[in-house]
Amino acid sequence: MRDGFRVVGIRQTTEPPVSVSGSRRQGKPVVSVLVLLLLAVGCLTCDVFVQRNPSYLDLAHSCVAPNREFVFGTDTMGRDIFSMIWYGGRISLGIGLVSTFIATAMAVVLGAVSGCASRRMDGVIMRAVDILLSVPSLLVVILLQAVLGKAGVLSMSLVIGMTGWMSMSKVIRTEVRQIKNSGYVTASRCMGGGFFHILWHHLAPDFLSSVMFMVIMSVRTAIVSESTLSFMGIGLPVEIISWGSMLSLAEQALAGRAWWMILIPGIFLVTTLVCLTNLGNCLRRRVTARHSNL
Amino acid sequence: MISKRHLEVLMHKILFLFGSVFVLSVLVFYVSRLAPGDPLVSYYGERAEKMSPEEREWAENKLGLNDSIHVQYIRWLQNAFQGDFGISYKYKMDVTEVIGGRIGNTLILGGIGFVLIFVLALALGILCAWQEDKLADRVICRIGTITSCIPEFWLSLAGILIFATALRWLPSSGAYSIGKENSLADRVWHLILPLSVVVLSHLWYYAYMIRNRLLEEVRAEYVLLARMKGLCRRQVLFGHCLRNAMPAYFSLMALSVPHVLGGTYIVETVFSYPGIGTLTYESARYQDYNLLMLLSLLTGMIVISCNMLAQAVSERIDPRLRMDDRRNYEEVDRI
Repeated sequence: MRDGFRVVGIRQTTEPPVSVSGSRRQGKPVVSVLVLLLLAVGCLTCDVFVQRNPSYLDLAHSCVAPNREFVFGTDTMGRDIFSMIWYGGRISLGIGLVSTFIATAMAVVLGAVSGCASRRMDGVIMRAVDILLSVPSLLVVILLQAVLGKAGVLSMSLVIGMTGWMSMSKVIRTEVRQIKNSGYVTASRCMGGGFFHILWHHLAPDFLSSVMFMVIMSVRTAIVSESTLSFMGIGLPVEIISWGSMLSLAEQALAGRAWWMILIPGIFLVTTLVCLTNLGNCLRRRVTARHSNL
Repeated sequence: MISKRHLEVLMHKILFLFGSVFVLSVLVFYVSRLAPGDPLVSYYGERAEKMSPEEREWAENKLGLNDSIHVQYIRWLQNAFQGDFGISYKYKMDVTEVIGGRIGNTLILGGIGFVLIFVLALALGILCAWQEDKLADRVICRIGTITSCIPEFWLSLAGILIFATALRWLPSSGAYSIGKENSLADRVWHLILPLSVVVLSHLWYYAYMIRNRLLEEVRAEYVLLARMKGLCRRQVLFGHCLRNAMPAYFSLMALSVPHVLGGTYIVETVFSYPGIGTLTYESARYQDYNLLMLLSLLTGMIVISCNMLAQAVSERIDPRLRMDDRRNYEEVDRI
């Protein structure tokens, strides 16, 4: 009897090969991580291989194009760009990390509170966040900077962190709400799971991936903010070397046609940002795991 | 048909808009006045530094700056309700006039940029989804990721360096050459570089969104059914998948207005383009209180109304997103 049936209309799809050599690395941003590590190690150990003092004003050699002595050239104030890149990288990356830490802490606390609070409370918090989001961040930055005194590395991280938590807290709140209302949390509660048990065993694994993505993206945004603010002259002053404050001399560089003063810090900046983005994208949940039906 | 409930929701939204604008105005007013800096410098220029105390007092009295902040705020509010937003300290004109003269430029840059982003992102997203995982998709994804990572200000700088300083093809700043204010060709010529920066730096973010949305969509069961019925790929993608993805795209684009606007502001500053972005930057740096106030309120209002628009669109698509669950059921029943 069984021979009488024949399966029709089946769509032959080959299973994606699982253990082909090299597939373990596929989709993982190995190059990006390596580049980031290289940059980080270079910035941390630059005392060893950088000979010139980055803030020494060598006025005899100002605005020199890249050559054998000055690998990346010098800026209009006579500082060696090669050493500035590494010492400046410390500050740029440091600000990115510290301000992300501040922003994430604030976002997680407020997002979790708002997600677990009553509907009225939740509404109030979210409306307040909406209003804060609509204040021009330039203004907030100028004010906070003024309150904190002279712009320094720490005050800058604080300012960027305090202006960057809003959208992250919205995402966390939505995530918490969604998970809180899902069946498995109710089930766990019915079985007698306590609050911390649920938080640790059920909630954290679920929203960690999206939070990690937000964190990486927030490092990216913080680095961009620092460089933009310093470039516009409302961030770090020229004496504190960062990739952004190096670019704040861009106007003079354009006048003196010193392309290396604009391109070299920019390339380092963009490389870091691209690597961070690749890393973030790989942490995001994958949509293309299944086969396309098209 | 407009029912009573619709009216209620509308009133609620309008109330919220005004409420937020009010809170915003209080915030900006207090914040700008508490921040250190001397507004007299922006009014009198260099002379302000040489003023005697009596002269200073007279000048502050004239500008109404020596009252307490509360008094100043209430006075500002009273005047604002009569349509008088005060004068700009730097330009010594009504702020509405100052902004009126500049806002056109920003609307041209931002508006054309927004439309270009909207159309190009859609086209790129569809192209990538169509060619999923083929060479074209991969190349576009790579290039797109890189362009979306470049900060606007650096892209502007690099653009100026290459096209204005080195090649001398395009002008490096301003919206028109002096003496050619009315020449359309000259304006377009000045617009090319800033406009490309605005479009390039935002394009991929939205194209990537629509690409991923479409990729999710083509994995749905109905696509299989449609293909089985004999529809070709093009018909399925454009007739079914794109249709399902479009509403989300509209809501995303409403949310994107503030981002594009913010990007425009930065680009304007780098190119010294005479728009309200440059104006905001100047007024915040040089304590031009009245100007700053109106500009912040304008920006804030655009941001809030766009957010509300986005929320309305996504609620229409997916009524589950509504804040109030009880009303939600009514809504679903009626549909």
